[in-house]
Amino acid sequence: MTWRPVGLTRDVPAGRVMRAWVDGQDAVVWRSTRGVLSAWDNRCPHRGMALSHGFVRGEDLACLYHGWHYGAEGGVCSLIPSHPDLTPPDTIKTRAFQSAESDGVIWVRLEGSPDLAPPAIAPGLDPLRSFEIRAREGDIAHGAAAKPFEPAILSLLFNPIAHDRTLVTVLIDAQATSDQRKLASRWCEDVRREVEA
Amino acid sequence: MSLAYARNDWYVIADRNSLEQGPRRTRLLGDEIHVSGSYAHPVIKDASGRMLPTQIKFDHVWTTVGDRPRPLFDIPEGNEPGRRLVPCGMVRVKCSPLRAVENFLDIAHFPFVHTDVLGAEPYTEVEPYKVEIREQNDEVWATKVKFFQPLAAKSAAGGITTDYEYRVPAPTTAVLYKTCPPKPEAQDVITIFVQPRSETECDVWPWMALYDDDTPYADLVQFQQMIFLQDRSILENQRPIKLPLDPRMEIPTRSDLTSVAYRRWLKKRGAFYGALAETL
Ligand code: FES
Ligand SMILES: [Fe+2]
Repeated sequence: MTWRPVGLTRDVPAGRVMRAWVDGQDAVVWRSTRGVLSAWDNRCPHRGMALSHGFVRGEDLACLYHGWHYGAEGGVCSLIPSHPDLTPPDTIKTRAFQSAESDGVIWVRLEGSPDLAPPAIAPGLDPLRSFEIRAREGDIAHGAAAKPFEPAILSLLFNPIAHDRTLVTVLIDAQATSDQRKLASRWCEDVRREVEA
Repeated sequence: MSLAYARNDWYVIADRNSLEQGPRRTRLLGDEIHVSGSYAHPVIKDASGRMLPTQIKFDHVWTTVGDRPRPLFDIPEGNEPGRRLVPCGMVRVKCSPLRAVENFLDIAHFPFVHTDVLGAEPYTEVEPYKVEIREQNDEVWATKVKFFQPLAAKSAAGGITTDYEYRVPAPTTAVLYKTCPPKPEAQDVITIFVQPRSETECDVWPWMALYDDDTPYADLVQFQQMIFLQDRSILENQRPIKLPLDPRMEIPTRSDLTSVAYRRWLKKRGAFYGALAETL
């Protein structure tokens, strides 16, 4: 399976929970208080609640429905609040995917050999932003090419999240000034508007 | 999916309020239903214009599309003198009607979903309680359920431990009996009648029979609506949407005894409408 760019490192600080889509799979991406990043099936093994509505408690992600805790290391259930004295069997665990970060981008992959790192980003690029466009990857690439951005080098990463929705991650020349970054952000909006129209 | 079983149950499709607003269209078991007439004389027709039987019970209008409907169960407390009967309107939820009932039978979510209203951390523990299938009428009952609540009902000030009993007389109806120890003789009755619009969408009609003559009607309804809107934020985010009856698909714990019994009971009856029975 392929590594998919699901967001920016700075958009998921410690304690944050985010929903992501990876090859059609609904996923939750979150970072523990101490900074461990995890990507799991967005489904609580207890009763199927979306874990992306949950909340971070230390090194655990707690489900919003009944507060069951799942640990960042391995996704094993560590607490069932309705029976706080019970040690949950370690067969209760979330389905974990591979996650990695490189150059400020978060990558998730459903499966594959663990030693294969996500694709390296061309040197000298900074993540600018990550946002959703209601269009297919091909149409966005086409729209972006038709509207070349002159002030600085940009690079676009795509993650298809539904047949008509794509997550776009935009990288910019690390040397770019804050004015150039502002212009680039505006360019993103223009491309979005044109492609969605 | 098993429509055959579901067709022969009775379902709420209107209350007085909704009828007074004139004719309306709604859905039942996937099909369109036309509702008109008055509360005293409701006229219910299916999409082909066929008149459907109706009855008024528990302050709601009921109908069935089956050829051999099972008799509608009773909730005897509704006839007890001194009780105030409170229909609470309707909340539409994009979920399986069975998931809506199961959620109503669940207390372990109170501290997390109804935070500071029906429960609060760290009071999350669920004490052992009793669940049985009562043979004479084939109903699911959960008794001796206890839970600490910071604000249990409109009439309660401060925190108390509340006693509960739950009763499931039909796959899409759940009745809750709620007692506050200061007034053990006064058992509030709170019910949900779930109208299955389809297997994945329902209208929930809460109805209460209370010993409370003081709280204004609007406040009682508003309180119940708030609770249900909180539940809706859960119910619309469960996967799969249909209730899985295969015990391997979701992992229960001890506090889920009621849910386990409810699912088994559905399975035994073949009440699969809104359930995921394919993997069985
Ligand atoms: S569904 Fe997640 S804790 Fe119950
Ligand atoms: Fe609830």
